[in-house]
This record gives sequence, structure tokens and C-alpha cells, in this order.
Amino acid sequence: MIRKILIVDDSPVARAIVKKCLPADRDFLLAEAGNGLEGLEKYREEHPDLTLLDLTMPVMDGFAALEAIRREDPEALVVVLSSDIQPKTIERVKSLGAALVLPKPPSAESLRETLATVSRLLGS
Amino acid sequence: MSISTQPQSFSGDEAAILQELMNIAFGKASADLARVIDIRIVLNVPQVELMQADGLLGRVREETRIYEALSIIEQNFWGKFSGSALLAFPASARKGLLSLFAEEPGERNPLLEKETLLEVGNILIGACVGKVAELLGDSVSFSPPRLNPHVLLHTLATEIVPAQLGGPDKGAILMKTVFQFEDRDINGFLFLVANQDSMQWLQTALRNFMAKF
Repeated sequence: MIRKILIVDDSPVARAIVKKCLPADRDFLLAEAGNGLEGLEKYREEHPDLTLLDLTMPVMDGFAALEAIRREDPEALVVVLSSDIQPKTIERVKSLGAALVLPKPPSAESLRETLATVSRLLGS
Repeated sequence: MSISTQPQSFSGDEAAILQELMNIAFGKASADLARVIDIRIVLNVPQVELMQADGLLGRVREETRIYEALSIIEQNFWGKFSGSALLAFPASARKGLLSLFAEEPGERNPLLEKETLLEVGNILIGACVGKVAELLGDSVSFSPPRLNPHVLLHTLATEIVPAQLGGPDKGAILMKTVFQFEDRDINGFLFLVANQDSMQWLQTALRNFMAKF
């Protein structure tokens, strides 16, 4: 069951969109970070069930953050939520351990489906 | 977040929304181009700022100052969202750009270089501007792309200021992103400049975009 979600994105607008698109009938605990380094630190503090991770960010990008998070916690469930939807980008983040890649902007429907998919992954 | 100016008529929140739209739109544009050339394009965080039209050249010079000369592809767009797009590459990168498309580049072919630059411009500008417009509920028309293959930076002339901006003293919103072709020493710069006449519509459209969520 996904309860605690960490949203890592440098754009406050992108983070607001994600929060608005999360199912309103579910009670999530949310944590936020504004770049990859903050995201890594928050991950260590919060141990979220799911991390929604942007790629193009200052300070530390999402590739480096994903690699660091998965190195520290090989079970970490990370969904990349990015506008960078190039085939080679998707290939790379999957090789780094991303469970799914979701293009921006998300919708309520796409996030609901994503949550259902990662919940199944957690259960398997 | 890189929003350098908070103009009186354009709030920080509106600039932040526009920055995220630019991020989404350039992501789409780079994916379109990457599918053609099979090389990953490394993206950077876009920037949005309000400026006077006559400040545009100064900004282009500042951003590209390490290069002696640029190849610039310019395209105007019209809709409720109107303005101009400038895609700039170091002039020295022309051969490298050609190699992205040709399996085995042969002798220098100026016509092929021109067509390559125009095609890259057409894909990136069309997809990026088109996506921003689409996200804001608009559709735009484009002028044919115009290439200036070798612009010396210190002589970058005022005629580069797009006529679409309606005069050097008018306000304009500048959206800028820098990108690299992975494993190649080629940087590119995309500047989108929305003219002052678009601003009121743009503010409403940005609010409407956020209201959808």
C-alpha cells in the first residue's frame, strides 16, 4: 500500500500539479524536495513508499538522485515523472532502477494508474 | 527555479507556470528530434524573464559569449500566443550537426548544412512552440524558418530583433533553454520571445491551465 510519497521537482508548479492529481479519496503523507540532492536527503529522512522524481533539476539532476537512492536502498520504488521522454532517457532511467516513467504533465487518471501499478509491484 | 525578473504585469506564479510549460514543451521537442537522430539531447532547466525587446540581443550575446559566431534559425509564430523563436548554435558546430544526420559526412556541402540547420530548427521550434500553445489551448501558425548561417557575435545587429515584437521599446517575455547533444561537443540555445500583445491572453491562459488540475 502506497501511503507516503516523496515528490522531487525543482518546479513548485509541477509539485502542485502532482498534489492536485493524486486521488482525493486517499490519505497520503507527502514530502517534497526541490532538487535531486534535497530529494536524496528527504529520502533518507522519510523512507517514502514511493518517490516521484523529475530529471531536469539544478544542483543534482534526477539521474544522479535515482542512482544514489537505489544504491542506498535497492528496494526503493521510484517513478520518474519528467518532460524528458526521449527513448534513450527512458532506457537509462529504467537501467538505473526506475519502476516506471510518466510523462509530464500528469493527469489524475495517469497518476491513479501509476499508483495501481506500483502497488502491484510492491505486492509482488 | 530560475526566474530572474518579476515584472509588474506578470507575477512570479505566472512566470513559474510558464517555465514548467516550457520545460514540458522542450521535452516534447527534444524527444521528436531524438527520434530522428538517435542521439540523446541533454536538457537544462529553462528560464523565463520579462524584458524589453531591445534587451533581447544583449541576452543572446550574454548567453552565447564564449562563441565567436553563431548560426541562427529564426521563425515567427502567430496565434493568441505570438512571437518569435531564435534557435542558435555555435557556427563552428555546423559540421557536427551535419554528422548527426549523415552516416558518413563527405566534403563540406553548404547547401546540405543549410538544410540540416533548417530541419533541426523546424523540428525543435515547431514542436516546442506548438506544445506550449497546445497546453494553453491555442494553435499557432509559423513563418518559414530563416537561417543566418554565420552571425558574428560582436556584430549581432538590431535587425535580429524580430519584427514580431512590435518595436524595441515594447515588453517581451523571454523563455530560454540551453541543451547539448550527448557525447558530442555541440550546444544549442532556444529563445522564445512572446510579444507584449500576447501577455494579457497568456496570463488568462496560464490561470486556465492550472485550473484544469
